[in-house]
Amino acid sequence: MKNNFTPRFISSAAASCILGLTATQPAAAAVSDEDFNALKATVQQLQQAHDQDQKQIQTLQQQLGETQTLATNAVVAADAVAQAQANPPRNALHNFTMVGDAEIQYAKTYGNGTHNGFELADFAPIFLYRANDNILFEAGFDIMLQNGSASGTNSYNGVAGSAYTHDSGSSTSVSLSFAQMDYLVNDYVTFVGGYMLLPLGTYSERGAGWLNKIPDDPLGVEFLPGAGAGAQLRGAYPLGESGQMLTYAVYCANGPSSVDGTGNAYTLDGGGNKISNLDLGGNVGIQNDGNNGNLHSAPSGGGRLGWFVPWGGAHKDLELGVSGQTGSWDDASSYTWSALVLDGALHVGPNVEVKGEYIDTWYNTSDAGTIRPWGAWVQAGYKLAGLDWDMPVISDIELVGRVDKENNGLDKLGSGLGAETRRYTMGYVYYITNTLLFEGDYEFIHSCIPGSSPLTANQLIFQLSYGF
Amino acid sequence: MKPNSKHSRRLIRAAVAVLALVALGGLIAVAQADDTKPAAPKKLTGAELYAVNCNRCHPERYPTEFNSAQWQTIMIHMRVRANLPAKQAKEILKYMKEEAGN
Repeated sequence: MKNNFTPRFISSAAASCILGLTATQPAAAAVSDEDFNALKATVQQLQQAHDQDQKQIQTLQQQLGETQTLATNAVVAADAVAQAQANPPRNALHNFTMVGDAEIQYAKTYGNGTHNGFELADFAPIFLYRANDNILFEAGFDIMLQNGSASGTNSYNGVAGSAYTHDSGSSTSVSLSFAQMDYLVNDYVTFVGGYMLLPLGTYSERGAGWLNKIPDDPLGVEFLPGAGAGAQLRGAYPLGESGQMLTYAVYCANGPSSVDGTGNAYTLDGGGNKISNLDLGGNVGIQNDGNNGNLHSAPSGGGRLGWFVPWGGAHKDLELGVSGQTGSWDDASSYTWSALVLDGALHVGPNVEVKGEYIDTWYNTSDAGTIRPWGAWVQAGYKLAGLDWDMPVISDIELVGRVDKENNGLDKLGSGLGAETRRYTMGYVYYITNTLLFEGDYEFIHSCIPGSSPLTANQLIFQLSYGF
Repeated sequence: MKPNSKHSRRLIRAAVAVLALVALGGLIAVAQADDTKPAAPKKLTGAELYAVNCNRCHPERYPTEFNSAQWQTIMIHMRVRANLPAKQAKEILKYMKEEAGN
């Protein structure tokens, strides 16, 4: 028994030692419950913090999404606004504009037995329609009132008296001054077509209506066609950066015509009165019978060259121009009408302006040789603001003066139609606003018909002009 | 021949008048130039071009008298009527539209 116990004891002891040795290591790394709980609490807190961070991130992501949506919507809205501003809503009036002028007058002519009177001198709207950035349609009208005429037999107490013809009632005249299409081909060429203002001098294009500082037209411009049916190329070339430029215009138009179709100098109207046979305002392409065509075989050609040079900024400039037109005027195209116009305008500071034109025309006839209607005018203005008197009304006044002369050249063959007229005009412009002008002038007019006594018919005119 | 002589005299007188006008303008330009030192050409702004060109024919029109769309239409009309160079017309239009404010 003793021998069996000992090995078992030794084996047990060895096993215990081994177990003791193996059990020693875990016993050294053991965590107390307190530490474990603290650690557990910490982990739980971290977990909660993580969960909160996750929620916060989700919230922030949601807010970011909303912000991005708002930003995207804002960009879309801004684009829409920009688009709307760049392309405003189109309607019937969007590209339509009306400008123009209106004048009313109070006039008295001395020496011809008439009374003074009020009149609607002119209502002249210009309708503009812009089809796009390069195409414009424009048409100008002149609307005027004039007395009508009545004729009959006087009656007193039912007894017929003498025959009469007298002003009675009124009639309204509406005339088309021009109707043209402007196409801006490029920076240097513009095409104009239709019934267009003709660049013979500058008055017909830039001087009529309220633009003129004297109520009536200068002498001589009546010898030029103001407008004509045709086509034109025009443009300007700047010279440097100072505003200096060269301008040009070349055109062809149906040209003037003959009242009775012949090349005779005179013809008789329906009342048997002798009148000039030259018609500057007709020949618009559509004939009286509805057919199309020029009244003679070829259109007239013309043009203008101009030079504009400013110096020292605004209001100091000089413009010079030369223009002309030539072409046949009778139906057989046997005779020629021609015109030459020299124009000039000078501004010396904001208060001094001088401008004028020399107009020379001539046309061949079958029975009176060459007839030469011509005219010339010079007009000057001085704004009293230049005196620096600091007086509101005075400073708004411009003094104007004009000297003009014309000869219609119709004294050939003793027709009795020839007349030479000289006129001296002095007046003022009171600028009530920049577009409302009150003008007044007195004109000394002397006319002379060969073989007759000179005629003097001075005139006083007041005019209220409005430009719109 | 007499009418031709009269015609020639008138033409000569007109030419002399035009030359006198040019000479007057030239003298004034020279006088102005003497007052200032030569400077490099300065490109004119839209406002300056407006002052140079528009007052030549009519009292100035204020930008607020029309809106932008109307100015765009009117400037084509004026570019053709007054034969303005395209770049100048565009600068003037830009100025008028900015000042019109609508």
